[in-house]
Amino acid sequence: MAVLEGTLQTTATMATPLLLAALGENVSQRAGVVNVGLEGMMLIGAFTATLATLATGTALAGVGMAALAGVLIALLFALFAVKLTANQVVVGVVINLLALGLTGTVYRARFGQTGTSLVTAKLPVIGANLTVLTPAALVAAFGLWWWLYRTRPGLELRACGEYPAAADAAGVSVGRVRTLAILFCGMMAGIAGAFLSVGEVNTFIENMTDGRGFIALAIVTSGRWNPLGCLIASLVFGFAQALQFQGQALGLQLPYQFFVALPYAVTLCVLMMGGRWSQAPAALGRPYRKA
Amino acid sequence: MSDLPGPDTPDRVALVFWTLARVLAACAGFILLLTVTFLLLGIAPAEGLRSLWAGAFGDAQSGRWYAVSETLVKATPLLLTALGVTVAWRAGLFSIGGEGQLLLGAITATATVRLMGALPGPMLTLLALVMGAAAGAFWGWIAGWLRVRRNVQEVISTIMLNYIALYLLGWLVDKGPLQESARRVAQSDPLPSTVLFARLIPPAWSDGIATRLHSGVLLAFLAVPVITLLLFHTRTGFGLRLIGQNAEAARTARYPVRALRLQAMALSGALCGLAGCVELLGVTGRLFANFSPGWGFTAIPVALLGGLHPVGVLLSALFFGALTAGSGNLARFSGVSSVLIYILQAVAVLAVVGLRAYQALRARSEGD
Amino acid sequence: MRRARDTVAAPSPLVAPSDPSSEPVLRMQGITKRYGATLALDQVDFSVNRGEIHALLGENGAGKSTLMHVLSGLTRPDAGAIWLEGREVRLTSPRQARAHGIAMVHQHFTLVPAFTVAENLQLDRPVVDPIERARSLGWSLDPQARVHALPVGAQQRVEIVKALATDARLLIFDEPTAVLSPPEVEELFVVLRRLRDEGRTIILIAHKLAEILAVSDRVTVLRRGRNVVVCRTAETSAPELAGWMIGAPRALDAAADGDGGGSVAGEVSDPVSPASHAVPVPAEGPASRAGGLVVRGLTVPGDRGEHAIRMLDLQVRRGEISGIGGVDGNGQTELAEALAGLRPIAGGQLQWDGGPFRPGVTPRIGYIPQDRRRAGLAVTLSIAENLLFDAVREPEFRIGPFLRRGALYRHALALARQFDIRTGDLNLPASALSGGNQQKIVVARAFRSDPELIIAVNPTRGLDIGATRFVHAQLRRARERGAAVVLISTDLDELMALSDRAAILASGQLTELSQQAVRTADIGLLMGGMRVSG
Repeated sequence: MAVLEGTLQTTATMATPLLLAALGENVSQRAGVVNVGLEGMMLIGAFTATLATLATGTALAGVGMAALAGVLIALLFALFAVKLTANQVVVGVVINLLALGLTGTVYRARFGQTGTSLVTAKLPVIGANLTVLTPAALVAAFGLWWWLYRTRPGLELRACGEYPAAADAAGVSVGRVRTLAILFCGMMAGIAGAFLSVGEVNTFIENMTDGRGFIALAIVTSGRWNPLGCLIASLVFGFAQALQFQGQALGLQLPYQFFVALPYAVTLCVLMMGGRWSQAPAALGRPYRKA
Repeated sequence: MSDLPGPDTPDRVALVFWTLARVLAACAGFILLLTVTFLLLGIAPAEGLRSLWAGAFGDAQSGRWYAVSETLVKATPLLLTALGVTVAWRAGLFSIGGEGQLLLGAITATATVRLMGALPGPMLTLLALVMGAAAGAFWGWIAGWLRVRRNVQEVISTIMLNYIALYLLGWLVDKGPLQESARRVAQSDPLPSTVLFARLIPPAWSDGIATRLHSGVLLAFLAVPVITLLLFHTRTGFGLRLIGQNAEAARTARYPVRALRLQAMALSGALCGLAGCVELLGVTGRLFANFSPGWGFTAIPVALLGGLHPVGVLLSALFFGALTAGSGNLARFSGVSSVLIYILQAVAVLAVVGLRAYQALRARSEGD
Repeated sequence: MRRARDTVAAPSPLVAPSDPSSEPVLRMQGITKRYGATLALDQVDFSVNRGEIHALLGENGAGKSTLMHVLSGLTRPDAGAIWLEGREVRLTSPRQARAHGIAMVHQHFTLVPAFTVAENLQLDRPVVDPIERARSLGWSLDPQARVHALPVGAQQRVEIVKALATDARLLIFDEPTAVLSPPEVEELFVVLRRLRDEGRTIILIAHKLAEILAVSDRVTVLRRGRNVVVCRTAETSAPELAGWMIGAPRALDAAADGDGGGSVAGEVSDPVSPASHAVPVPAEGPASRAGGLVVRGLTVPGDRGEHAIRMLDLQVRRGEISGIGGVDGNGQTELAEALAGLRPIAGGQLQWDGGPFRPGVTPRIGYIPQDRRRAGLAVTLSIAENLLFDAVREPEFRIGPFLRRGALYRHALALARQFDIRTGDLNLPASALSGGNQQKIVVARAFRSDPELIIAVNPTRGLDIGATRFVHAQLRRARERGAAVVLISTDLDELMALSDRAAILASGQLTELSQQAVRTADIGLLMGGMRVSG
């Protein structure tokens, strides 16, 4: 029983940053922008949260600053990908590199030489050993689903990702909507990163996102570009990750890598079967230039 | 952009002049950027630059051979993966699957050596290279198939494929069939030295320091003319570049667009798979969980800064190989993280992409 | 429906609007719009009364769409003024047009395919309940249905309801019947009349004469960016409308070789081949003398799954230019792509020289696609490379697997000279060329290997006189050396000047013009989708 509880709790802990980032990416991809720079945005969020928490002493301030940092880096993305209509994959890859370089360099410069271990405050636990970000992510998933599918701005945003010319004809400013979507994505990625550094643990490690941004990208695909789908997919991916730690206690014979890789393999198989399951927003990845 | 031989018109001279001017401007901008970064980090710029230079090209005290060989060794996986990126992106396929293809190549090469250990050394090496490249090609082909048959964007599918390869590697060397016989560390047994690439520089030449320059470096260099020939001297290459620029025009001119996309992805994967084999047989000699420090991703800026042209990619890979080697030295000297070069890469790509996009926007607004 | 009346070829004087008592709800005056060298609209006046269905008739390029784009705020005119209900208005954006109660039902729908009907309707900020609105027209729309799953007719209903839900008082319908089946057209007309009876004003951009006669109250005819006539529909006839639309009579006369009305004079001498003299041969006859292409019962699907070409018969003999005219959107692109082997066909048989038709092999095909920037060129590649799309695949330009780049470059150079592509450097990107020179690249590729079958779709659209003359000469030269040429063009002058035989494509079906000289009005009638008797 304790094992099961532990597994569930680890699942929730693993799933939270994935869900937060995936929700941001979901909004951005629904607007037609594929943000491969999610990983980098998370990393910047994680580092900013550490710096800000060190400076202020409260982890919540760290989360706030991480969100802000995510927005700033997303602004750079939007400048290139929307304003200059550059290739979104290029800009995303560059953001990842930039984040890795910036956080690594600054981290070494400030903390690396002293040799003291970096310890910050941590987000308060609100029961079941979880921080406030886990229920917040849950609420965000439902909220975003409602927003995307039940409100007018949500409709306009989805139109920008499906058929920007039609959105334009309906008086929607595609560039503005896409920019805002990217900024939101950056904010969510920043918060997701903050969860890693001041929520889950109380320190920063270089490249501590360790591919979680890419997992979130996969989650958006397997969640069919739907926030509730993302919620389920995050739990699946999170559970798979939890097995990495809890698998032995659960008496599983298969190697943990099998479970971690399984969600990817399943998603790929679903994509291969085609049909409605693999329907990405029609204009995903295509810069919009007004005719 | 054209690559056909033409008459030597004055325009050509001007072109050469402007290209040179641009390269010089880029170098100046680069040094400026480094200087600013060093100042921000509290390092004397001259010392920092000297240290970078010494790491990449050696100096009077430590000798030249070792540093230059390290630059070449570091450039090799970058070069091969960036050539892979070049082939795919030229064909309009924005694959980010180089990392997974590289890992699968290395895995397959290791498995081949394990299974076919009875073969004589050189033959086994060749077989390992072929199998590794084929595995990479298969990994790329899957993403290509998803694109042409299921309209799944390669950006999305290659992410999945990267992770499947990564976890496959993780399992194989950690309690899996490829783990060392001692079963202590998550790594494979070292491959027999008979299959490894030969070292090119005898230690006697390089002041007794053993360099890591291996014959696989030559293989990577050889790939540059091969890919140049392929892209610009064969009809397949012509078709690849055509579908990358306008797939609809290619379809109208009866080019087999789907088959070309599949070929591009497979070839791109083969080059990345080869990169994994070369690193395995030339440098590491064994497989382990963190086999790649992200070459498959770094390859993208390398390829972009090389203008997606094999010769440009060669220069770009050498440049970043030198930076990698140099930053290692810098890290030892000043404690500055070697990830510093990622910043430089990122800023350089942003500058190039931004400039080009800005020009394109201006051209469009003038054209209307 | 047709009244016996002689063809009036000359334009009538501008007839005053019908009802002098009511101020027109819309008055456009002196609208002028210039695109580069072409005058799309030249001092056009247009006025519409409240509560009428007003048809706007004209050939391709007559200026109908441009005029309506001015009205819907998509295009800004260079000169002219617009009055709505007596007040002058400036319409600089679609949003402003909408605020003035103007809505357009587009020919190419502006619906999001992946959205439901309800979502599509919501996107346009409806002011009345669209589902209720649909019901009042006798339509039941399933709001939860995905648009891409609906048949074309139903999609158009959604598009119409979308426009109506803005409570627009002035509705512009752009060729609404192009994708509809006859019963659906009837149904649409019922709706148009009901909307008129509600007091709304309807402008119908159209080219099908029967439909105009059936549903409109008045007609304005434009030709080459100018007003021709405004009249009550009840007081005119199909032949009269056709005459106004087409203008001066034109001859279908191959022997004269291009001195047809207003055409570019050809410098090519009279073709020697006797086959080029158009002897009326019924389309069913076998290719007895010259061989060539025989098509029977061809059915080709369009992009939306409808049958763009229906049971079409066609014969194109060697040494002959077969002209196919008609208004855009009647299956031209689909027919051309099917003949070029680029679009799968849904039915029918094709033969070449009495044997199997294997496009690209028997016969070798030269294809000039309709849209050069989309399908003809890769403008970011060099001019030389654009000239060499096909050459690089030919064995003579290869040694083993490698291209003979020197030979290829010389070939490109020769083509550039032969086809008069004016540039200093073939290594420049094709985007550096003017439109005319870009088109010459496409033409050069189509003609370079002396193809046996040439399919040219609007090969001179947007070209200046010199370039047009050049392309025409190339088409004639191909005919002289015995190629079968299919010239699909919306430009009647071009068609008449070049074709040995001509036919009009309307609603996916061909009607052959089998006389040496065809009365202009008849062509107009055919283009308007009507049948010509005797």
